[in-house]
Amino acid sequence: MSEAALVLFLEASVRLGVPLALAALGEAITERSGVINIGLEGSLIAGALGGALIALATGSGEVGVVGGAAAGLATALVFAAFSVGLGTDQIITGTAVTLGGLGFTGAIYQASFGASGAALTLPTLPPVRIPALADIPWIGTALFAQAPTAYLAYALAPALWFFLFRTPWGLELRACGEHPEAARAAGVRVQRVRLAATLFGGALAGLAGAHLALAHAGTFAENMSAGRGFIAIAVVALGRWNPILVLLAALLFGAAAALQFLLQAVGLDLPYQFFLALPYVVTLAALAGRLGHARAPAALGLAWTRPR
Amino acid sequence: MAAASVVATGVVAAALLWVGGYDPLAAARAAARGAFGGRDAILSITLVRAIPLVLTGLAVALAFLAGTWNIGAEGQLYAGAVAGVWVGLEAGRLPAWALVPLLLAAAMVAGALWASVPILMKLRLGVGEVITSLLMSFVAVNLAAYMVHGPLQEPRGVFPQTAAIADAARLPMLVPGTRLHVGAVLAIALAVALWWLLRETRIGFQVRAVGASRTAAEIAGRIDSRRVTLGAFLASGALAGLAGGVQVAGVTYALYEGLSPGWGYTAIAVALLAGLHPLGVLVTGLLFGALDAGAAAMQRDAGVPAVWAMGVQALVILAVLALGRAQRHAEAELTGV
Amino acid sequence: MTSVLARLKGVERRFGSVQALAGADLEVRAGEVHAVLGENGAGKSTLLRVVGGMLRPDTGLLEIAGEPALLASPRDAWARGVGLVHQHFMLVPAFTVLENLALGRRGWRGRRTRDDRGLIEDATRLMDRTGLVVPLDALVEQLSVGHKQRVEILRTLLREPSVIALDEPTAALAPAETGALFALLRQLAGEGRGVVLVAHKIDEVLGVADRVTVLRKGRTVLCEPRERVDAGTLVAAMVGRDAPSRSLEDAPPGPTRPGARARGERVAWLDAVVVRDDSGRVSVDRASLEVHRGEIVGVASIEGSGQRELALVLSGRRDPAAGAATISAGVGFVPQDRTTEALIGEFDLVENVALALHDDPRVASRLRIDWREARALAQDVIARFGVVAPGVDVPAAELSGGNQQRLVVGRELLVASDLLVAENPARGLDVAATAFVHHELRRLTSDASGPGVVLVSNDLDEALALSDRLFVMSRGRLLPVPDAQRTREGVGTLMLGGGAGIDAEGRGAAGAAHA
Repeated sequence: MSEAALVLFLEASVRLGVPLALAALGEAITERSGVINIGLEGSLIAGALGGALIALATGSGEVGVVGGAAAGLATALVFAAFSVGLGTDQIITGTAVTLGGLGFTGAIYQASFGASGAALTLPTLPPVRIPALADIPWIGTALFAQAPTAYLAYALAPALWFFLFRTPWGLELRACGEHPEAARAAGVRVQRVRLAATLFGGALAGLAGAHLALAHAGTFAENMSAGRGFIAIAVVALGRWNPILVLLAALLFGAAAALQFLLQAVGLDLPYQFFLALPYVVTLAALAGRLGHARAPAALGLAWTRPR
Repeated sequence: MAAASVVATGVVAAALLWVGGYDPLAAARAAARGAFGGRDAILSITLVRAIPLVLTGLAVALAFLAGTWNIGAEGQLYAGAVAGVWVGLEAGRLPAWALVPLLLAAAMVAGALWASVPILMKLRLGVGEVITSLLMSFVAVNLAAYMVHGPLQEPRGVFPQTAAIADAARLPMLVPGTRLHVGAVLAIALAVALWWLLRETRIGFQVRAVGASRTAAEIAGRIDSRRVTLGAFLASGALAGLAGGVQVAGVTYALYEGLSPGWGYTAIAVALLAGLHPLGVLVTGLLFGALDAGAAAMQRDAGVPAVWAMGVQALVILAVLALGRAQRHAEAELTGV
Repeated sequence: MTSVLARLKGVERRFGSVQALAGADLEVRAGEVHAVLGENGAGKSTLLRVVGGMLRPDTGLLEIAGEPALLASPRDAWARGVGLVHQHFMLVPAFTVLENLALGRRGWRGRRTRDDRGLIEDATRLMDRTGLVVPLDALVEQLSVGHKQRVEILRTLLREPSVIALDEPTAALAPAETGALFALLRQLAGEGRGVVLVAHKIDEVLGVADRVTVLRKGRTVLCEPRERVDAGTLVAAMVGRDAPSRSLEDAPPGPTRPGARARGERVAWLDAVVVRDDSGRVSVDRASLEVHRGEIVGVASIEGSGQRELALVLSGRRDPAAGAATISAGVGFVPQDRTTEALIGEFDLVENVALALHDDPRVASRLRIDWREARALAQDVIARFGVVAPGVDVPAAELSGGNQQRLVVGRELLVASDLLVAENPARGLDVAATAFVHHELRRLTSDASGPGVVLVSNDLDEALALSDRLFVMSRGRLLPVPDAQRTREGVGTLMLGGGAGIDAEGRGAAGAAHA
């Protein structure tokens, strides 16, 4: 196998892993506060469409990304209004938000561009090459010649780690996820913290969706999120809710998705659907293999409302 | 409360349509006509579309009642469809009275098998079944796609679908001249059976107890909650798989990509709106079947994209949740926190 | 004149159909230890939670340091100098002690990174001053109950509250530890703070309080300095009758000597049984025990000693990891947490009764449940055990605590033909309901043909008064209590693992099956 094929594989791994990483990092914060957002997929697809529309309207990929983040945040706001504000069941609410996200984005897309399914061409987010680092052999171009959103992911991981484990706000957030009663008794505003964490997660997922549309595919298609939001949730668990491990896990998943390039280069010709299914199978296997001892935030998924 | 949810959803949906520049009334009229506008509409479209919704709705309701989240009914449906089509193609020489039950049984087994992965991962490894059942759905859809492009593809190799299943494998029509097949009777029978099981039998009581409070069921009831959960989840998968088999044997007679427009997910709305009551699922399944039928007409006649239906489902779920929450507040909890 | 740090007047609070507070008053003065007494359900905890900002009152006056205060959350209470030490600790189990102490303190230091060093200094100083020592880097979930309480108190004190309110702090402590706690409370009062102590054990608080308030049915019925009251007046105020009748004194006189009552055949036998808890740790370490018909075997302990796992094994809900447990078939279990373990709140009373009977031939065949029969049995239970309910079709959650317990006891007795295991059966019940439970246990064992009873209790007085034979559970070891040690002090010593774990015959702690 040639060096070129290996480099291609590494580049593809990072490229495919970045949207997962962004969404998973956001969800990690959300889940650390005690909220599991199954509606992440909805935020992701909303971000993809939002990013696409804003980029078209402004002609700029960069502004589109911001628009995508806003769309993701708005979607998460709906989720938070019900699950954090009203205390409805997080699983069902999240499922509804995902269904709604997929449905409404499809509807808006068809209404705007017709049901013909002709591909849009969008202003893209071109890769940015970091001068010295990109020259490192083997991994240089893979890591440092990516779209700017990739660098955001690299920077966010240690920053979020520091936030969670070295700042008082991070301590409060983690307390909300472990024992919201105790957090409240200590004076923490639990619902406010959870709301902020959920919106943050939604914004990052929206960002990831925008990246998908603007930096990865260059177009929008219905259901293009393809379950990445759900995989991101699994990545959070595999990364033990630790931002740095989450980033690594996401990149590993990117590698699993990029495996098709590697296998094709080696001459293995497997059916197309096999590669489509591969990320999900790998996720399942990873969950089965390593998850046994990871410790989720104790209050994750349990509805909690402020007593009146 | 279900009625209130429907009303609330209708209001919000109408508002959103209006904001989007559509005429809500025209859309509603088109939808109603599409769903109920005539004998053919009712029998051949609405009721037929309701059947898979009722079956998957029962599947989801059963799982939820047992305290588990089966979000992967879509995948279990596809697994059942693949198994059903395979039997329908391979065992075509058997007589109908043997072939039809065999096909449906294969579909149920496949669905249960597909559901066994998430529930066993939960029971043995402690992995939440929500994500795993969702992931399995994606795998199933791709598996079905592979099947129709490859091993099971129709002999000429032109279209991504299977050959038509043997005549003997097809479900007879309930009302001649329409597309309403006996699967409807099966769906109704199963709904009644599930209702009876939950109310009158020991195992049904155990399922409800475990779903209501696993702790009390184990300590006060000495119930083996793991076994009950496993059984309920597998039965849920079987029902969803059956939906796939029934669809293949009763409507399409073949398998192709996109067999299900998301019935496994709509089933969640169907189950919740019915308050997880099996007989209620008959009503809500019909309602969503009508929505499905109406959506196509809505697109044709009023220009509203059919994908709207998915959005409406989401609104329904949110409405049910919000109103359920409000009701509980109104009943005033007895203990303060 | 001592200053009034906090004042509540005419506070009312309702939860659904229950009026928890119906005109409660409280005055907290600097330099005083103020005890709040009342039986279970009188509203003491609710009042404290109002003081601590966890609940908002429906009406009433709340003043802190002379200023009217509207406390919307504990955050507001802290800001006004009011700190709560909760009965059920408000600590994050997965965090270390230091992290728990740091939680919520951001406002005081306001720095971007956690000021660990400053906190460690403050905490160490505080531990020296109060004598409450805990390792700062230990995980809270691994601490003993007593140590957890120390952390809870330290956390409160670190914020320098002027009013510190403790909710039933002695429930989790052995008698010796209680003394140390009270000494600390006096010390805190001496520093000029106002200390509020909620309890329902009179003799405990009479030694430490300067002033006593009594709540009854949500209303303040008495507020006097310590010198002007005695146990009798307090009990009368708590219960509202002239003749004080504490359940244990009222119960039919029972023997407190082992073997004095007739005993029947053996119905349960544990032989060097080892039981693990849910996380795999050994909870019961080689316990041996025999239970016979017609006797009450008491197991006294403090929380976390392994008595839960012992109860689970005795009632057939869990298998031992080692050793042999031979339990007769007809076993009933009254678990300590009735709302989550014994009853399903959303099920009606018939279904809750069926919970114990769903595999019993009286009600269930192989396939079906005979709901008519179940209903009849449920109505019978309600009638015989005096459960006050509008009918059998109401959800169990709508019953009061006392009635729920009556239902549970009645239901378990339907199946407890051989053995009844009762775990803190009187927890959270008022005097009347407590009397009922104790009376039932005595009645059951009044002759040698009825079932045997195992009473697992954190309430020393309950265990001492009711048991024919008494054991102590301490750190997983089941120790018989010799007659000579059948007092509060004697049992307390055994609980803390001291001294006479070896009885007169020289048998070791693990061995004895008979006292």
